[in-house]
Amino acid sequence: MRRRVPEIFLGLGFAGIMTTLYLGLNWAPSVSIDAFESPAAQRIFYWHVPSAWAAFIAFGVLFFGSAIWFFKRSPLGWRLHVAGSEAGLACGLMAVWSGCVWGAAEWGTPWDWSDIRLNTFGLLTLLALFLVLGRQSQPDGVETRDTFSTFGLYGFVLVPLTYIATRFWQIRHPGPVIAAGEDGGSLQSSMAVVLLIGALSFTIFIIGHILISMRITHLEQRLEQVQKSLDGGN
Amino acid sequence: MVETSPNGRFDVALQTRTPMAESMLSLVDLEVRRGMGVVLSGFNLEVASKDVVVLHGENGSGKSTVIESCARLLPLEKGSIHHHGALVVDSEGRRNIPPQPFGLTLQSNGLLGDETIENHLSTVCSLSGMKTDLSPILESYGLAHRRYDRIGQLSGGQARKVAVIAGLLPAMLCSKPRLVFLDEPGTGLDNNALAVLASDIGRLREAGHAFVIASHHPDILKCATRLHDLESESLQDQTPCKPWKAIGVEENVRLLSTKVGHRYLRSTRAGLARNGLTALLVLGTLLAFIDPISIENPTLLVGFVLAAPFAAGLAGDPVLYLMREQRAADWWRAHVNRLPNADFIAPILGLIFTSLGCILFLDAFDWKLSLLGAGMVWVTLFCVRFIELSTLRLARPNAVFIRLLLPILILPWALIVDFAATL
Repeated sequence: MRRRVPEIFLGLGFAGIMTTLYLGLNWAPSVSIDAFESPAAQRIFYWHVPSAWAAFIAFGVLFFGSAIWFFKRSPLGWRLHVAGSEAGLACGLMAVWSGCVWGAAEWGTPWDWSDIRLNTFGLLTLLALFLVLGRQSQPDGVETRDTFSTFGLYGFVLVPLTYIATRFWQIRHPGPVIAAGEDGGSLQSSMAVVLLIGALSFTIFIIGHILISMRITHLEQRLEQVQKSLDGGN
Repeated sequence: MVETSPNGRFDVALQTRTPMAESMLSLVDLEVRRGMGVVLSGFNLEVASKDVVVLHGENGSGKSTVIESCARLLPLEKGSIHHHGALVVDSEGRRNIPPQPFGLTLQSNGLLGDETIENHLSTVCSLSGMKTDLSPILESYGLAHRRYDRIGQLSGGQARKVAVIAGLLPAMLCSKPRLVFLDEPGTGLDNNALAVLASDIGRLREAGHAFVIASHHPDILKCATRLHDLESESLQDQTPCKPWKAIGVEENVRLLSTKVGHRYLRSTRAGLARNGLTALLVLGTLLAFIDPISIENPTLLVGFVLAAPFAAGLAGDPVLYLMREQRAADWWRAHVNRLPNADFIAPILGLIFTSLGCILFLDAFDWKLSLLGAGMVWVTLFCVRFIELSTLRLARPNAVFIRLLLPILILPWALIVDFAATL
C-alpha cells in the first residue's frame, strides 16, 4: 500500500482537479459584467490560480532540493531538485497558458512585457524549462548537479518577487485573491469554495507528481549504477 | 629507480632535497570528483624546485584531474592546493591568483584557431609579465616558418607543439623557479620535437623549475625525477645537463584581458559578425514592417531605437564564443580571474546602432539615447556573459539551453524604454 501512495495522491488530485473544473465552469456564479470585459473568460481562474499555487509549491521544493544538494551533497536533495523542476514546469506552463487565454479575452493581449508579475512568473517557468532540458543534455555528475542547483537557488529569488509584484507594481495583473489581507474578501463564498477545492486538488496532485518523479530519478540512478558496474567501473 | 613510497602520499623521509620550506607546489589531502565518481581521495603531493613528477597511472586514474586541479580548473571536495606556499584553491571555494605565473598545457590545446602562433605565444609571455624573441624556440620545434600563420591552418601535431611551447614558456622566460603543468605533452609530436621537448625539460629542471607531467610516453617517462602512478611513487636519477638560461625581458603589462579580447575581435571580426549583424537584422526587420512617420507614440519609437542595441547585447560576448574552441576559456581561466572579453567594443557597437536607430526612427540624432544604447549593450553583454560563464563547468556547455534564461533581461529593457521616452 505504501508503494502506491504517489499513485493515490495523483489519482485523488486528478479527480479533485476535474471536480474543480466542473464546478468552476457549471456551478460557480458568474462575475459582474460591469467589472470585467469578458466575464465568461473569468471562469478560467479556477484553473489558473490553483495551478499557479501548485507551481509555487513546486518551486519551493526545487529551492530546498537545490540547497540540500549544494550544501550537503545529498542524493535526496538532487531528487527533490529534479522533481521540483519538473512539477514547476508542468504547473507553470498550465498557469502561463491559462493566464494568456484570460489576458487575450480580458485585456486584448495575451502578454504584457512590462508587467512585473507576468514576467517574473514567466521567468520562473522558463527557469524550470531550462533546468529540465539542460539536465537532459548533460551526463549526470557533480558538475551538472552543482551548476543546475546554483541556478535553482538563484532562481528562487523570483518567487517572493512574483508574490509581492502585484502589491507594489500592479500594472495589468489583478491583485491577490488568496491571502489578500484586509483588501481582499471580494470573492463570493461559493467562488472561494471552488478555488479552495482547486488549490487542495492541485496541491495533492503536485505532491503525487513530485513523489513519482523522485522515484523515477532514484530508479534512473540505480540503472546507471548497474550499467557502470557492467562496464567494469565503480 | 631508487626508492618507493606507498599510497601516493608524500613522505619527507624519502625526499633527498625537499624540505617543506622549498615546496613550490603542495597538494594537501585532495579529494576531487568528476562525474559521479571520486577520482582522487586523500591525495598528497609536494613538488620542489628541480622536481619532474611524471604521473603515469592507468586511464581514468586521475592524472589529468591532478593537472587540472593544480591549474585551479576543478573544484575540490576536500583539501587545498598551494603554489609557492600561497593558497590558490581549496575546498571552501577560495580561488586565488597564483603568486607566480605558471606554465600549462592541457590535453586539449586551449588555442584559438584565429590566433597566429606569434600572437598566442606573445600573450603567454605577457601573462608572465615578460617579452622575448621567440625565433630560437620556434626554430627548435620546426615552427619558425609558420610563425605568422593562424593556428587553425596548422596540422594537429603543429598545433600541439604550439600548446607545448606555451606551457614551457613561463619557465623559459624567467630565472626564478616556475611551476609547469603538462598534460600528455608527447601526444601528436614527431620524434624531433619529442627529443627537443625532453631536452628542454631536462635543462629547465637544471635551472630550478619544477614540472608535473601526465604522460605514458617512454621519452617523457625518461625525463622524470619522480615517477608517480597515483598509488605509489619511485625516484629516478637524472644525469646533470646544461641548465636553461632565461630568455625573457621584463615588460609592463596592463589590461591584458581587455587587450587580448580586442585583438581576438580585430582578427576575427566576431563582434561585427555576431552582435553587429544581429542588430542590423533587427533594424532591417523593423523597418520592413514599420513606417516610423506613421507612429506617434514616443515610447514605441524609442523602443524601436533601443531594440537593435538590446539584440546586439543578447547575442552574447563574441570573445567568449570564440574561446569555447579547444577549451581556450579553461586555459585562460587557469591563469587569470578575468577572461578576455568584448567590453571595449560593446559600447561602441551600442553607440553606432542607437545613433542609426535615432536617425531612422526619430529622424534626428539624440546623444542621450545614444549613450543609453551604448550602456545597454555593455550591461546586456555582461549579464549574458555571466550566465554563460556559469555553465562552463558542465561537461557539454554548448548543449545547455542558456537562451531560455535571457528573457529575464526583457523587463529591465522595457522599463528603460519607458524611462528613455521621457528624456
